[in-house]
This record gives sequence, structure tokens and C-alpha cells, in this order.
Amino acid sequence: MCRCLKKFFFCRLYHTTPLGGSIGQTLPPSPLYILLIGTIHPFRKTHRSIFGKLLQEFRLVASDRRSWRILLFGTLNLLCTGCLLMWCSSTNSMALTAYTYLTIFDLFSLITCLISSWVTMKKPSQVYSFGFERLEVLAVFASTVLVQLGALFILKESVERFMEQPEVHTGRLLVGTFVALFFNLLTLLSVRNKPFAFVSEAASSSWLQEHVADLSRSLCGIIPGLSSVLLPRMNPFVLINVAGALSLCITYMLIEINNYNAVDTASAVAIALMTFGTMYPMSVYSGKVLLQTTPSHIIGQLDKLLREVSTLDGVLEVRNEHFWTVGFGSLAGSAHVRIRRDANEQLVLAHVTNRLLPLVSTLTVQIFKDDWTRPLLTGALTSSSPAAPLGSAEGYSSLSSSLPPLLLSPGSELDPLTSTPSKLSSPPPEFSFDTPGRNVQPMVLPAPGHQAQRPYGGLGLAYGAPPYAGMLGQGLARPGGGLGLGVQGLGAGFGLGMAGSSVPSSQSYRTAFSGSTAPLRFGTSNLLAPQSQYRQYRP
Amino acid sequence: MEDKYSSNVLSGGKLGMVEVPDSRLTRYIVLLVISKVLKALGIFESYDILKVVHIVQFIFILKLGSAVILLFFQKPFSSGKVISKRQWIKLLKHAVFSCVISLLGFFGLTLCGPLRTLLLFEHSDVVVIALLGVLFTNSGGGPSKTRGAAFFIIAVICLLLFDNDDLMAKMAEHPEGHHDSALTHFLYTAIAFLGVADHKGGVVLLVASLCLKVGFHTASRKLSVEIGGAKRLYALDNLVSAMVLLPWVIVLSPTTESKVESWSSLVLPFGMIIFSVMILEFYVEAICCAKMETPRCARYGAIALFLSALLLANFWTHPLTDQLRSIGKPPQQVSTEHVLSGGVLVSAIFFIMSSSILSSPSKKGQKGTLVGYSPEGTPLYNFMGDALQHTSQSLPRFIKDSLKQILEEYDSRQIFYFLCLNLAFTFVELFYGVWTNSLGLISDGFHMLFDCSALVLGLFAALMTRWKATRIFSYGYGRVEILSGFINGLFLMVIAFFVFMESVTRLLDPPNINTDMLTPVSVGGLLVNLVGICAFSHAHSHGGKSCSSQDHGHSHHGHGHGGHGHSHGSGGGGMNANMRGVFLHVLADTLGSVGVIISTILIRQFGWLIADPICSLFIATLIFLSVIPLLKDACEVLLLRTPPEHEKDLNSALEKIEKIEGVLSYRDPHFWRHSANMIAGTIHLQIMSDVVEQRIIQQVTAILKDAGVNNLSVQVEKEAYFQHMSGLSTGFQEVLAMTQQMESMKYLNDGTRIM
Repeated sequence: MCRCLKKFFFCRLYHTTPLGGSIGQTLPPSPLYILLIGTIHPFRKTHRSIFGKLLQEFRLVASDRRSWRILLFGTLNLLCTGCLLMWCSSTNSMALTAYTYLTIFDLFSLITCLISSWVTMKKPSQVYSFGFERLEVLAVFASTVLVQLGALFILKESVERFMEQPEVHTGRLLVGTFVALFFNLLTLLSVRNKPFAFVSEAASSSWLQEHVADLSRSLCGIIPGLSSVLLPRMNPFVLINVAGALSLCITYMLIEINNYNAVDTASAVAIALMTFGTMYPMSVYSGKVLLQTTPSHIIGQLDKLLREVSTLDGVLEVRNEHFWTVGFGSLAGSAHVRIRRDANEQLVLAHVTNRLLPLVSTLTVQIFKDDWTRPLLTGALTSSSPAAPLGSAEGYSSLSSSLPPLLLSPGSELDPLTSTPSKLSSPPPEFSFDTPGRNVQPMVLPAPGHQAQRPYGGLGLAYGAPPYAGMLGQGLARPGGGLGLGVQGLGAGFGLGMAGSSVPSSQSYRTAFSGSTAPLRFGTSNLLAPQSQYRQYRP
Repeated sequence: MEDKYSSNVLSGGKLGMVEVPDSRLTRYIVLLVISKVLKALGIFESYDILKVVHIVQFIFILKLGSAVILLFFQKPFSSGKVISKRQWIKLLKHAVFSCVISLLGFFGLTLCGPLRTLLLFEHSDVVVIALLGVLFTNSGGGPSKTRGAAFFIIAVICLLLFDNDDLMAKMAEHPEGHHDSALTHFLYTAIAFLGVADHKGGVVLLVASLCLKVGFHTASRKLSVEIGGAKRLYALDNLVSAMVLLPWVIVLSPTTESKVESWSSLVLPFGMIIFSVMILEFYVEAICCAKMETPRCARYGAIALFLSALLLANFWTHPLTDQLRSIGKPPQQVSTEHVLSGGVLVSAIFFIMSSSILSSPSKKGQKGTLVGYSPEGTPLYNFMGDALQHTSQSLPRFIKDSLKQILEEYDSRQIFYFLCLNLAFTFVELFYGVWTNSLGLISDGFHMLFDCSALVLGLFAALMTRWKATRIFSYGYGRVEILSGFINGLFLMVIAFFVFMESVTRLLDPPNINTDMLTPVSVGGLLVNLVGICAFSHAHSHGGKSCSSQDHGHSHHGHGHGGHGHSHGSGGGGMNANMRGVFLHVLADTLGSVGVIISTILIRQFGWLIADPICSLFIATLIFLSVIPLLKDACEVLLLRTPPEHEKDLNSALEKIEKIEGVLSYRDPHFWRHSANMIAGTIHLQIMSDVVEQRIIQQVTAILKDAGVNNLSVQVEKEAYFQHMSGLSTGFQEVLAMTQQMESMKYLNDGTRIM
């Protein structure tokens, strides 16, 4: 074991030296370092290429003028941190150390900012197929967790100090406090930190924020003018910086006046607890993103959409739904939709996708049918229908022109022979693909039913009936246009009849299916095995 | 319905309780304030009297006197219904309890003086119940109540820690064995056993008896209804408790010699105390509670009481004691005890603030979720969650259940046993450190405790991993252990960083180290950690779950156990990230112990003080380097990288998919490792219009399953899909995009393949 370690150590040592030259020396284990190692695999190739790669990425980021500012503030912050750490050891104050960690956190947040500007320049690669947006989230998570671990360390040290309180020199205490406060606020207010701004907005408020909000609510009752500054809730970073500085001032006063050295430890504990309180909601939020969870604020909206989806005609259930956030904000998801055996997969897919796509940008919907191998029809018709051209527009026109619409009405009254349970008790579908008698109007496809029974009017999912009609209208307006859609029901019989025979030759597939797929789309009313979903429309 | 919701939610003052303006209640407020001032006076006096009168006698006299007066006023026997035998028994119990509480209260008074007693003991029930509600239930009623509770606790802590109340003098004054009675002797020994000074013991005692008092008041409410009113109960209670105390007093009076010279001079003070403490306060409180709301009554009462107590403590010059003592003994340094100190002042301010916050009526800021708007435009809220959360199980049962869960699985069992071992070692170290008063041991113990937090994290993650999938965690909780591995890696980074900094400062200025205690402790720690290493590397070969790390030649675990050999082959047999994190932690600890042992030897043998910082520098580097692979792997998983160990398989699978009959192309292939044993994937396929989708799905699923993907979604698209989509989409851009896709597909259909 020991030998292994040694070998490991030495071979690594060689590789890390160049890295140390670039950032390893200047920064302590920073998230950037960790993350870049995570993404670039520095140890696999020769060190020159790592160095070169790192430099290349750095140049890429530095090419943007905005990141110069971040770099400038980063160096300022480093200077300030170094100064503060020296003062910490000279004053021997735990509270100042705890406050210095907030400055280090600012450094982390600047690095996160750099990462976020790097991320925007990067395209998804083959192995990172979702892109690098998550790096932002990871950086936020890592920096908040690191600060909390620092606070934990402070707590541990403070417990040890409670037993034997060393003396605290107040000489540099106040100077250090104000220098740190000034630089922190400067960094916070002058650098626009997109990821942290987002997280601090989106995460639930910390206890510190809640108390301040509670106090300021009563304060605004007296002075209403303050409400614009204080009210909804304050920026957590500004809040913790100010509160930490305040507690350090109190410490200074008490030590100067009464020589209570224990106050220093107590205020270190207080600052550590405030750090925990401030950072915890943010790390929970970003951790939940990393854990691929459904964001809870989306759930209501998502449920509404899924309910809508499950009321689409032909949809039996939606299952295995996974929705999660890729980066901050963009949702990804997948779902399995089980549909009736005779429903048209592509149409359902299109409608489901259309519903969910405004909310979920990276969406995968798997359509699922029960025993699709079993033939839908008992007697396979020998297809005499012409091998229809592929386009659905052509499909509509040719079929609707070749088949008489009269075939429809008897079909819907035949005894059902269902393979899947019908939705009798369910509310009427928002639009039905094939309601006999409704589709008499030629041009507007599912639009009438849709507009009549749509409960969610203003959801922003405006289902564009006119363009739909317009697009397909081109096809339908041709010769036979103007006849009902239900007509195509017959086509389904052909198609599935062929599927039942399951001839493996692709040629036969092609002929059979190309004729039938277009009708299948609306093909729910075939003659021989009509489905029960028409019951509710039966006169 | 809607009214109810909105009145609950809108916490503005208009819809809440209507408060009567103060001007109409001035009479009652003045009365309350006067009674409270008198009560403070009475307590101060009784403190002085208690110095000469035995506590049991004192309480007996108090109860008897107030019983006589109350009998005269209330006439409990002649009015009201007859009290049954069972009620008498209840009354007896009640009286015994009230005796115990007043004994405790007045004993606390003798211990920590009147001012502190008033601050601690005289809180109204409303305040204490609100405090307990904040501390022990989640629905405390908003942040302001939490603040009040925090103030209360700070005030108590101020009294405990920052109030130097002539401790040494008091300690010297109480050599054990000189107490008046068995009871006080027992209490004194109990407090001395706790190892705190008398007045601190008094503070603890008073807080405990305050809680008892509130519980007692709440419990006696039912009895007071049965008996027929609180006043009647109070009168009867005083009578019965006087009778309960009577035998004790009779036994006591001959056995102890009385310090009182003349009882006659005490009649007036006793009368004053009985009047102000027992009678007046009771009646005034009853009236005020009837006329005002209880919270407001409590607020004004507390402020008046505390302020008058502060004033009295400043000006009280023990006239009575001096007068009494001047008869017997020469006056002592009495006036210096229980004086005002900074701590008491601060805590009094905090007590006043906390009681005013806690007793203010809680504005119902209930947490509701907005469900929508009513037709009139007022918001509607849903309060389901809060009510549902309250059906939690009891604590022992929860512990038992989680223990059972922990012991079920191998990983968590290992962590749990090791945690127990570690904790045991830590506590032995801590106790030994306290015993021998060695600071080094204690601080090392705390360091161990700090390290245990990583183990606890690992244990919790191992437990959580097995939770069932929920709506929010739709894939299940398996990913938690990767996150926990990541956090543990960061933890180790932080530790390495601190060790590094520490050793750099020591390198510049090597301190003198006392090596006496170091060796046994570090050897003990080494043994414990070696056990851990054995356990966890054993777990390593047992783990069974496929490893999130790959490519082991490169990502080095730092230990040469058999796991490496077969992890190349099947892709399994490694540890999950969580266990790796825990293992690395234990490894780092072991390295620390080894380093300490080596540096101790070097320092002892050669006197190289610099060996210690160099050793720790080396260890810090080692920890840092050993943690990098873990962090890298965890990062890759968290960033949704295509799992590297499956990369080749997946590429060939994709090639195979392209060759399936009827498949034109694929787009957006995403494959990522979700947790140790789940690789998820999504892919979109474009197929020819004449192919059955389900068949393609089946084939693709089978192919990808072979490649290791076990949670797959395949979206199969035909040309018709794009037509529908372009029909359904509203924006021009989308239509354009869809048509383009459709065109390209048509192009593909013609037989010329682009991809």
C-alpha cells in the first residue's frame, strides 16, 4: 500500500509542477482547479499539452473584455485575502478569520463567474452531450460547500478556544474588518455574477434573510421609504457581509471596553452560523440541480401539462416521467407515453412534444404500445388501395378522395372489440382527432373540438390552429379536399392487417405501410374493429 | 371558504385580532404595574427573611396565611358545589405538586438572589409555552418568535456565563454539611455534584422549575373547572398544602435550632409578603386577564416586574436583614452579594425583549402555496403540507427504524460500526483529557469529532441511497452518494489545505512540542483507523456495484487491494463514490497518525523539531493528491459526462443502431451515469415512414441495454412527425426549422445519406 502511494505520489508530482506554475501556487485548492482537472484530464497526456490546453482555455476566456474586470478584481481580492490572513494571525482573532473566509468565498464566486463566461463560449462536445452549463452549477455548489466546510472548521476551532481563551489583540481588528467589508461589497456590487445572482434569487431564503425581512417589515411600517431597499428580501451576500462586520465591531468594542476575550470566539461562532445559514439554501438548490431532481417550483406547471397530455386522444397514461434541470433554468426531460393500440404514434408524439416543448427544452418522448405485435384486425384485407405517396398531405387528399365518407357512420356503431381500456369517465378530450360529425368542415382539422373544449386558455401554449390548417390546407385543398377526416379509418385496417402477417421483407412493409401510415394518424374508425372511444360521441 | 383562506394568510393588522386601545385599559394596566412592583418588593423581602427562617417553615407560613385570607374572601366551603372524595384526592396531589414547585422556587431564591429569581422564574405561561413551541416544534410562528426564543436563551446563558456573582465568596461561605435540613442538604449536594457554582446551579434549578410550573398550571386547568373556578381551587390548594406541610414543620421545629430571635418582629414582613406575593398578584392577574388579552397582560406584567426588580436590586440595602442580624450577629459583608453585574443587566434587557416578543400575538404567517386566484381576484392558498407533516413518528421509533435500515446493507453497516468505534475512541479520549486536564487530548478529541462528521455524512448518504423514488427525485436517490463522495472530497481538500497552511507557518517558526502524550494517542488512533481501512477495503471487493471510476491504472485508490484486478474486466467490483470518499478520509487519518508517530520518533531521537511540519506538509500533499481522482470522477458524473468505461460500447451501439433497417439517422444521443448502478440515456431516431415504431424501439432498447444503458427513452420520429410539428408550432422560426428538418429527411429518404 505504501509503495503504491509513493509511486503514485511521485508520478503525480512530476505532472503537477507545471500546473502549480499557472494557478496552483497562486490559488489554494480552488474550484477552478478542481473543475478544470475534472474536465480536461490533465494526467492522461503529457504535461505540455495540459499546460497548453489550460492556457488555451484561459486565453479563450481572457479574450472577452468583461473577464478582464473579473481578473482584476480577482487579483485585488487575492491581495486583500493575503493581507487579512496575515492580520488574522497577528491579531489572533477567530472572528476575523471567519470573516476572512467570506473574502475567500468572494474569490470563489469570481472564479465561478469566469467559469460561467467560459461555459457560454463552449459548445457541447461528444462526451459532454448536454454542454458545459452544469459546470456553473457545480462551481456554485463547490464554492458554497467549501465555505461551509470552512465555517465548520471555525466552529471546531472555536470549541477548542472556549476552553482556553487566548488573548486577542485589537490593533488590526477594526482595520481588517473594514478593509474586508469594503472589498467584499466592492466585488459584490461591481461584478455582475450571473450564476450566484440566479441562485440567490431562486434559492429559498436563509434564516438571516427571514429575520431581516421580518424586522424590516416592521421598520417599513414606520418609514415606508425604506421598503424599496429592504423589503422583499435583501441580497444574502450583502447581508452576511454587513452582519459579520457588525458583529466584529461589537467584538472590538467589548474587548476594548471590558476585555471580554471570549466575545471574539462567540462572534466567530455567530459568523460561522450565519455563513451556514446563508450558504445552506444555495448549496441545497444547486445540489438538487446536480442530483437531477425536478425543481419543485416547476411541478405545478408540469403537472398541469401532463394532465393535458393525458387527456389527448389516444393517450392512456404517461409514466417514467423524469424532468430535471441541465443548467440553471433550462429543463430537460423524458417521458414514456402509453397510447392505445390504434392511435397514431406520430400524431400523439407531435402533440405531446408540442405541449411540453415550451417548458422542457430538451425533451424525449417514447411512445409505447401494448402488444403491438398482435394484429389489430382479425381479417386482414388484401390491400387494393394504391401505394400512396409518402407525404401526409398527399395521403389525405388521395384517400379522402378515393373513399366515400359514408363508411364512417356505421363503423362507429359496431360493437367494440377493445384491446385497451377506454376512458369513459374521463373528461372529454380537448380535441379529438376523429369525431364523426365534427369534421365535416374540410379545412380545419382538429380545430373545432379543440377550441370548443379547451379549458386552459391562457397557458401560453397557444396551439396554433390557423397555421396548422394553413399548412395542411395546401394538401387538402387539392382535388378531394373538403371531405371528412374520419374517412381514413379504412386505411388503418389495411395497414395493421399487414402488420399482423408480419412479413419481414422490407418491400412489403413499404408498400403496406406507406399506404396506411397517413390514415393511421386518424385511423381510429375502421370498419371491422371499431374502438370504444366513440361511445361518448354516440348519439 | 375564500374568506377563511384570505384571513389566514393576509397577516395585516386589519384582519387579525382587534386590540383594544390602551387608553381604555389604563386602570387595569396601572393596577397590574403596581401589583408587580409590590410583588418584586415582596420577593426581595422574602429573600431576606429566608436567611433566618427555614424554607419549609417559610412556605408553610405563606400558605397558611394566604389560605386564611382566601377562606375569608372566597368561602370555598359555604359556596359552590360539594367536593367529592375523588376530587379531594386530586386536590391533594395538586397541593403536593404546588408545594414542591414553591419549594424549588424559593430554594432557587436563596441560591441566586431575588433579582435573578425574578428574571428567571416569573415568566408568564404564555411566554414559556411560546418558547417551548419554538424550540420543540417546527411551526413556531415565524421568525419573530424564533428571535424571541433566541433572546431568551441568550439571556439565560448570560446569567450562566457572564454573571460573576461573587462566586468565590459564595463558594467559601458554603462548606458542605452546615445546612439546615435534609432537603436543602440534598439539593446542595446535587448541585455540587453537577460541578457548578451555587448560583449557577440556582439558575439551572430555576429554569427547570419554571418549566415545571408552566406544565403544572396547564395540567391544573382541568381540575379548576371541576372544582368550580380558579379562585376556589387556589384557596383550597393553599389550605391543603398548608396541611401537607404541617407535619413536616412539626417534625422540623424541635430538631433544628431556630435562628429567629423574635417571631413578632417578622409578622409585618410576613403579612406584606403574603399580601403582595400570594394574594394581590393572584387577584390582579385574574382581573387583568379577564379585561385584557392574556398576551398583553403578560407583556406589561413582565416589563413592570423586571424593571422594578432592577431598580430594587440597585437600591435595596437589606434594611430588614441588617435590622434582624444586628440583634444576633454582627453585620457581615452581606451587602456585596448578588449585586448587579453587567451580565445581569444584559440578560435583563434580553429577558424583557424576549418576553415582549414571545408574548405578542403571533401573526399567522402560515405557509401556504398559492393555488390560484378567485374570481374576485383574491389569492387562494392551500395549506395541505403543514397539516400532513405533523404525522411524524416518535423519536425512539424513528431511531429504531433507521438503525434497522442501516444494518440491512453492507456499506452502511460498515460505516456505522466504524463510526461507533471512532466515537467510542473519541469519547474515551475526551473523558481522559478532562480527567487529566490535558488540553492537547481534548483538542485532539474535538478534531476526531470533526472527522466523524465526514463519516456521518457518508452514513447518511448510504442510507438515503436506498430511499424510494419520489416525485421530485424521479430517478431515485442513487445519485446522493455521488454527491456525498464529492462533498467528502472537498472536505479532504479543505483539511489538506489547513494542514498545509499550518505546517507552512510551523516551518517558518517551529514550536516546541511536548511529545509525552502524543505517542499513545496516535498509536490508538492508528489502530482504530487501521481497523477502518481493513473494513472498507474489504467492502471494496464486496461492493458489487459497478464503479463510477474506470481506468484504474490512472485513477489510483492508493491501496493495493484486490479490487483493481477485476475492475478492469467486468466494470464492476469497485467502490461507489461515497465509500471511496469515506475510505479516503480514513486513509488520511491513518496517514496523519503515522506522520505523528514518525515525527515523534524523530524529535525524540534527534531533536529535529522541523520533522513535524515537514511530515505534515508531506501528508497534506498526499491527501490532496489522493483525493483528486475521486473529485475528478465525481465531477464527471455530476457534469453528465458519457460514462468513460462505456464509451466504446456506446459508440459501437450507435453504429449498430444506424444500421438497423428503416432507421435513417439519429440525433441528440445523451448518455450519462445517474448513479452507481444506473446509466440513463435518451436518443431521437428518424425512421422511414413505413417501419413500425415499436419494433425499432425494441431493437434499439436491446442494443443499448447491451451497452449498459438501463434507463432509456427513445423518441422515434417519422416525417409525419415533423409535418405535424410544423403545423402545430406557432412561431415562424419554428415552422422554418421544422420544414428544414422535414426537407432534410425527405432528402435522406431519397437514399443519399448524409450522416
